[in-house]
Amino acid sequence: MNWRRVKNWLGIGAIVVLSLFAVAPVLSVVVSIYAAGAAAIASLGGLATFLTAEPPDPFATSGGVGPLLAGTLYMTALGAAAGILVGFPIGIYIGEFKRDKLSHVARGAVNMLVEFPTIAMGLFVYGMFSMVRGDVNSVLAPLSRDLSSVLGGWVTWFVGPLDFYNAYIGAAALAIVMIPYVALFTASAYASIDQPLREAAYSLSGREYKAVFTVLRKVVWRAVLASFLLGTAKIAGETAPLFFTALGNHYYAPFTGPTGAVTLWIYEAAQSSYKVQVDSAYGAAAVLLTVVLALFILAKLLGRGR
Amino acid sequence: MLGLLLLLFLGFYAVSVAALIFLKFRWGMRVVGLAAVLILGSIAVMFAVYSAPALAKYGLSLFTTAEWDPGAERYGLLSAIVGTLISSAIAITVAMPLAVSAAVAINEFLPGQVRWVVASLLDLTAAMPTVIYGLWGRDVLGPALAAGLNALGSWLLGAEPVRTPLNLLTAGVLLAVMITPYAAAIIREGYGLIPRQIEEAIYAVGATRFEAVLIKLRYIKQYVAGGFFLALGRAMGETAAVAMVVGGNYVRLVLNPVDPGITISSLIALQFPNAANYLYMTPVLYAAALTLVLMGLVINGVALYLLYRWQV
Repeated sequence: MNWRRVKNWLGIGAIVVLSLFAVAPVLSVVVSIYAAGAAAIASLGGLATFLTAEPPDPFATSGGVGPLLAGTLYMTALGAAAGILVGFPIGIYIGEFKRDKLSHVARGAVNMLVEFPTIAMGLFVYGMFSMVRGDVNSVLAPLSRDLSSVLGGWVTWFVGPLDFYNAYIGAAALAIVMIPYVALFTASAYASIDQPLREAAYSLSGREYKAVFTVLRKVVWRAVLASFLLGTAKIAGETAPLFFTALGNHYYAPFTGPTGAVTLWIYEAAQSSYKVQVDSAYGAAAVLLTVVLALFILAKLLGRGR
Repeated sequence: MLGLLLLLFLGFYAVSVAALIFLKFRWGMRVVGLAAVLILGSIAVMFAVYSAPALAKYGLSLFTTAEWDPGAERYGLLSAIVGTLISSAIAITVAMPLAVSAAVAINEFLPGQVRWVVASLLDLTAAMPTVIYGLWGRDVLGPALAAGLNALGSWLLGAEPVRTPLNLLTAGVLLAVMITPYAAAIIREGYGLIPRQIEEAIYAVGATRFEAVLIKLRYIKQYVAGGFFLALGRAMGETAAVAMVVGGNYVRLVLNPVDPGITISSLIALQFPNAANYLYMTPVLYAAALTLVLMGLVINGVALYLLYRWQV
């Protein structure tokens, strides 16, 4: 009897200690990134400079993440918009039409996609785009000429003949990362709707699409919105899909060519042998972590208010 | 030509979805759902087509040799495959006890407020950008592991086993940190589904709380196994963080986990930028990606089968 009691306490103690071990690393990460990042930002010219300046070359004394932040925000916004636009309806189909045979197949595909190595998405988009680039550009080149003659030269920063590496295929790769993520969250939110509520929605809204997209959407809106935010936080921090799509760039440049991203700079600068670049990697990591934390906390608050 | 066809196809797809949703709602949603299958299928087909030249030229020897000599156009993926297996084996061995304990502690032992904090931190662990883990692994985790093992080694053996903090072991432990929340989430899901009657029955026969935990874990063993395989799949595919700490040694086969090595995904990340300079490197790297995807499909397929069979 006594031995069982000892074993009980030993077991519970081990479980609690190990569970604290599981969350200790993330605390260490946050503390070390902010400690080193704050010092780095201060030494590289202060926060305002850091957020707007180009990244430091090996012999510079100041620098920042300006072009990289612009690239990350642009690609994340486009990728998140596309990911939500496609992922949300797929999620509704999986969650709401569970009796369809195809719905099971689609659920399997989405479950596979969400576990896919993200580098595969980058390779896929790169390979696809290199096949179709010439044709796409034969449409985009005259379009950009016409638009810039009407609206002014700034248009060529956004619309124009695309290089092999550009911000748009980066955004496409991020969108493919985001689609299954949003779809799964949406599906579980729709699947959790109470049956009486669902019947009421269908009986009152007239058309089926109104029941699903308007009435039921309002029931699960908080959870779905939280999943959009979490998905956006996830793709804002993605590196691997951007390796062969956005490629990276150290300067302010048109989005139709190689585009920098904060994550790509952290990856590159962390492995540099110059201290100023490693420092800037920590500063960039602190900036990225702030963006991700803000989205994460917002999503948590939304999810809690249910 | 191909590009215009693709644009036309995408346009047609979007228009038909929009039209069908208003006309025949259910069919519209089916077309939407088909998109997920199409994306998955076209990734697999594209990798297969792009890697065909390499598979035709090298055959099976691509997977059974460890040579990497772009100048002579001789490639082998064995060291990358072995490196992936070693690092993910380390990762899953470290991660599973942590994940099971975290899931049990959150559902069972921790008091209200602490429980919420630990659960949120675990979610944050999953949401953290991987490249930040890479930075942390290079400068904090790797040196700490190396120092610890070297101290242990010189005390026990009189020799320091770790020559550089950037090695497969660091990659494995870093991966363990990253995949723990995924396994824990699956186990927690299963833990929450244990019927009340079962729990009451366990205590009714006089089990202590720890014994009750063991019985419950056995009761949800499909979920534990499902979490194991899902986390394993994650560990195999992870790229940026691993490429930063693995050491990037692709010239010879590495079996010692404290030596610098390579994994499939980090091989692609490190070699793809200069692959266009060589005739066969791009197909070889697509073959590597295909291998990675097939390994992932098998492992995740097992995981989904376990979890799905349980639900039905």
